[in-house]
This record gives sequence, structure tokens and C-alpha cells, in this order.
Amino acid sequence: MVKFGIEFVPREAYWKTIFYAIQAEKRGFDNLWITDHYNNRNVYVTLAEAAIYTKKIVFGPGVTNPYLVNPVMTAQSIASLNELAPGRVVLGIGAGDKTTLAATGIEMQKPLTAVVETIEIFRRMMEGKSVTFEGQVFSAKGTRFNFKPRGAIPVYVGAQGPKMLETAGKIGDGVLINASHPKDVDYAVGCIKKGVSEAGKKLTDVDVTAYTSFSVHKNLEKATQAAVPVVAFIAAGSPNVILERHGIDVKKVDKIRGALKAGDFGQAFGSVSPEMIKAFSVCGTPDRCIEQINRLLKAGISQFVVGSPIGPNVRKSIDLISETIIPHFKK
Amino acid sequence: MAYQKIVKTIPVEKREDLLDKLLNLILKAKKENKMPSDLANTMLSQWQLGPLTTEAGLATILEAAVLLESEKTIEFLEQELQLADVAKAIKRMI
Repeated sequence: MVKFGIEFVPREAYWKTIFYAIQAEKRGFDNLWITDHYNNRNVYVTLAEAAIYTKKIVFGPGVTNPYLVNPVMTAQSIASLNELAPGRVVLGIGAGDKTTLAATGIEMQKPLTAVVETIEIFRRMMEGKSVTFEGQVFSAKGTRFNFKPRGAIPVYVGAQGPKMLETAGKIGDGVLINASHPKDVDYAVGCIKKGVSEAGKKLTDVDVTAYTSFSVHKNLEKATQAAVPVVAFIAAGSPNVILERHGIDVKKVDKIRGALKAGDFGQAFGSVSPEMIKAFSVCGTPDRCIEQINRLLKAGISQFVVGSPIGPNVRKSIDLISETIIPHFKK
Repeated sequence: MAYQKIVKTIPVEKREDLLDKLLNLILKAKKENKMPSDLANTMLSQWQLGPLTTEAGLATILEAAVLLESEKTIEFLEQELQLADVAKAIKRMI
């Protein structure tokens, strides 16, 4: 049965994010994902609060990266969280965002290798043993905890490119794909399948998770309006190969890129076309969202993540999802 | 306690509407640093344990709304819910 996750960017005060996390748990969501960017609230502080104020929802960073947080510290944070909420913690790990990393003066070196090595160190640390590891990006020299971690933690790999997707299928317990359209999921699942088969696993052994830009409201227009700013940023950040996959005119996206760079948000948001909304969001009335989620399920996902903006009014949209969308899939 | 006393004077049939509006106000409030952490933790504990429509829950939300958006809260109480006495009691407190 499909799982429903929800993603929050902790840019607001912690009590707002945790209010929504409690609401999400009450309303039947299975997973809670908190993003990790240096310019927002700290992901582990937020997750610790979530651990205290929830009882059953599964949660984790979605995703952290090995450049800003050393793999050993990620292991320590996750092991500590797993003491607060045993069995409810997962790790989401990816290579990070080039632009954000650049702002901190960190160079994204060998992203694929860095992620693979991080997962290796992480898993060995979780076994509670002394870890000696000499990688190309990271190393550990007799590194161990002074406490006993409470067992293995599922690792979800945030992946976009074909090699990372394949690797995620091979070594991950789950894969996090930033995709809202079946074409993108279809492409990703094809790559994941290669990795899965190389590892002698089945696709169903891996939780294929679609991180979507989501907006729901009973009124289509209101749902769409809420999605526009997020779609503008996604379109602007998408490589041309993805724009072409969706038949989106690159020149139109260049216009958005230019406007965003100039800080002209009115121009940027005004240039978002219906094709872009369709390609980069799951958006509309509950019935329309159900149709789109069904298409993503057919393309091979096993977890659907409701991501930013969620809707024009986050609290009411969570209720609407719980009343109309989740029951459709969890009868 | 003061807010619990105020909540007791609010007719039961108006409480759900009031809670809905106040939650919108506090969750969209820009000056979120005005929220004291002990009040925030109380709110989260109450929310975790049950609905916020209880007198204790509503009192917490009302207190938070007054701290974060006092003018809008009073305006809503006076104009939309016709609770002039409640609005007056809050004005005396702030």
C-alpha cells in the first residue's frame, strides 16, 4: 500500500513546523521529512522536537548532505534521534545543492563517491563497532560511539542524475526523487531498476519516494495560484534536458531565470505557464490530485510525499488531504 | 488562568469557529518571535494530546493570538463573532 509522506522546510519558527507535524500524524501521514539547509532552522533540532511531540510517524532529514555535516556527525545525530523515538527514524542523504554549498565556501567534490562513502561509514557506525575506513572523500580512523546505537536505520538516497539513481537503487533502502510528473518518475525508476537488479534485489525492496511540489484546494484556481512560486523556482533550476522532456520552451524558462536573478518575482511568477505547472507539481482539486497520484503510482512509486507549498492554507490542506485523498488510497 | 476564565464566557457554539480563525492568525503571524517558548510548548503538548477545542486548548490559542496578532484578534472577536465583552476583557489585560 502506498505510504504518504509530508515535507517541511523549517524556515518558520519551530512551533509552526511541529504544529503541522503533529497534525500530519493525526491525519494519517506515514512519514515526515524535514529539509536540511544551513539557512533554515537546524534539521536535527526540528526532528528532536518532532520525536517528542509525535508517537508513530516515521521521520528523518530529507535530505542532509555529507559536505556540510560530516558522515560521523550524521551518524551521531541519527543514533541519538533513534533513542528519542526508537524505530521511527530514517536517514535521507544526498549530494546537496551546489548553489547552497557554494554560499558556504564548500566545493561539491565527487558527489557520487561522497554519498556512497557516507552511507558506508554511517551503516558501520550504526553497528556500534569501531570504524576504520579510507575513502576518496571521507575517512574514519578507529571511529566509534561511546554508546550503543539502537540498531540499523533505513537509508534513503536523494537522487536526480542517472548514476546517482542507479546507485541509490543498488545501496539504498529507499530513493528520494524530486519529481511530480510520471515522465520523470518513469525515467528515474528505469535507472533505479538497473541498480536494484545489480544488487540482486527487487524493486519492491526499495521504497521509491516521490518528493512532489503539491498544492490542493477545493478551488482549482486557488490551488494553482499557490503552486506558482514554487514551480517558478523548480523550472528555473531544472536542466534543459528535463524541460525538453516536458516540451517546455527553454526560452520561457530563461525569462523566469532572468527575472528571479533580478529579484523581479512578479515577472518570474507571471511567466509560469500551465505546462510548467503540469510538469512540476501535483496540483488542483482533491479529485485531480488523486488522478495525478495514481499516475505516479503506476510509474512505480511506493511513497508519495506532499511537499511545498502543500496548499494555500497549509493547515486546511493537510485536513483536506486527510479527508479526501489518503482514504482513496488506503481503503 | 486569566485566558481560561475568558474562554468560559465564550458560547460553546462559537468556539470551533473561533479556534479555526485564531489558528489561521497564529500560524500565519509574521512576528513569530513574540511567541514565548513555554506557551509554544504548552500549545504543542495540548495539540499532541487531543483537540484544541477544550477550554484549556482554546485558552492557550487565544493567549498566543493576542500576543502575536492582538489587533486582528480583537477585531475578529468584536466584528465577526459579536463577542464585545470578550474583546473588552482582553483589551483590559493587554
